[in-house]
Amino acid sequence: MESYLKLTNQSQGKDRIFRATQYACALTRHLLQDEPLSKELLQKLKSLESNLSSGRKLLRLGNTLNSIDAAKKNLQLSDPVLRFCLTVANINRAFYFICDNVLWARNIGLIHNINKENWSLNATRFYFLSLIMNLTRDAYVIAQIMVQRSRDRQCQQKLNQHLSESPDVAQVIIPQLDAFLFLLIESLKSHPSVALDTLKNVCDLFIPLDRLGIYHTNAGVANFCGLVSSLLGILSVLKPNFKIKP
Amino acid sequence: MESWVRFNAQSQAKERVFRAAQYACTLLGYTLQKGGASADLLTTIKHLEAHLSLTRKLMRLGNSAEALEAAKRAVHLSDCVLRLCITVAHLNRVMYFACDNILWAGKTGLLANLDQNKWSQRSFRYYLFALILNLTRDAYEIHLLMEREARSSSAKGSLSSPSPLAPTPENGEFSPSPFPSPASAPVPAFPVITARLHRQLRLLVSVLRSNPPLLLDLLKNLCDVFIPLDRLGLYPTGTGFVGACGLASSILSILTIIHPWLKLKP
Repeated sequence: MESYLKLTNQSQGKDRIFRATQYACALTRHLLQDEPLSKELLQKLKSLESNLSSGRKLLRLGNTLNSIDAAKKNLQLSDPVLRFCLTVANINRAFYFICDNVLWARNIGLIHNINKENWSLNATRFYFLSLIMNLTRDAYVIAQIMVQRSRDRQCQQKLNQHLSESPDVAQVIIPQLDAFLFLLIESLKSHPSVALDTLKNVCDLFIPLDRLGIYHTNAGVANFCGLVSSLLGILSVLKPNFKIKP
Repeated sequence: MESWVRFNAQSQAKERVFRAAQYACTLLGYTLQKGGASADLLTTIKHLEAHLSLTRKLMRLGNSAEALEAAKRAVHLSDCVLRLCITVAHLNRVMYFACDNILWAGKTGLLANLDQNKWSQRSFRYYLFALILNLTRDAYEIHLLMEREARSSSAKGSLSSPSPLAPTPENGEFSPSPFPSPASAPVPAFPVITARLHRQLRLLVSVLRSNPPLLLDLLKNLCDVFIPLDRLGLYPTGTGFVGACGLASSILSILTIIHPWLKLKP
């Protein structure tokens, strides 16, 4: 109960729950599409999904300021790569939220004379760029950890042991690749927050890729990815040590 | 910016902002209707108000658990009056949130053949009970503080040494009484009651001035109580007044979130 209350008391926690529910509805709808006798259920799921979507849009009003504040904070980072990636990611998120707010106002009927499709594409574009920057940051952090681990004596012993344990596999797979993969897995194991953030961003990436027509996946894959990403988001809200810093 | 980010991170704070916006729409709609505004503008405001209401219902999903937890905590209070008022108020809030969740399911089409009017009335009834108990608690707190204040002021009066110039009964001098002695004429009751009321009122003002959280909670609950009274038809006040009360109450709530020391404890 305690952790549930902690989760629901945070705006981000509630948003993640609604996002997970929204994608769960969309996924269920996709799976039940060809089923007979499920017309009414599909209608209910669609109604719930659209209600959650518009509710989340309203919840995100004012998040632009949060992103601008985060971008300002990231300008103080000493590492130039992290500074660049995180600042640009947050600026893109700020623009995404602006587009999202305009779309919300259009859906409600506060604004009439805007092209909904255009603004939706712009929002998705900014979201996509933000994710790309976050993934670049993840790749950079992983590379740093791997370099650190490769210098570690204990890790080197483990690697040699791993390569000598399976020489037949090592002959089939390029030894360098095997060593790289071993090091990568070890690095991610030792830093679950980085692993979680990478997985979340990879899952999230499929949604804008599909919407922008860059890489078409079916609705099922996109919604499943959205659901997984939301659950990982909930996990990082519940357990702050799983949240990547900075 | 920092305080905004901190404020925005709390779901209760966001809910309060949306509540303020919703009642502002109610008030604005009423004002514009009186002023003869265009039907298009009125429809937009009505639509926005309905959307805010529905989103707030969505945000309140799961709040029953929170209210139940608060009731559990209140059971352990030492003061029996506070324990009763706060626990029962929270239990009423649990029921109100449960009805509210059912209403949300009805409005989103999950429960298609739901009698929304009946459930709305039911939810407002629980909300009214919760508010009445909160007001009872406020009255009890005020009563306690007034008693304490009266006791401390009388103690101060008895402790302060009499001035050598002041007339005292010991040296045969009595201060002239504003009323005639009982022997000469019967004391008229009205001035005595007026004086007592005046004293009580001064005491009340003094207590509320020295306890901003209590004053704020009292004002908030008084503003809130008109909403269910109007909706249940017990004391119809009209859309404009309900909108103004809801807006005032929401602003006071936002104030208690921004400044946590203004929140009444327990």
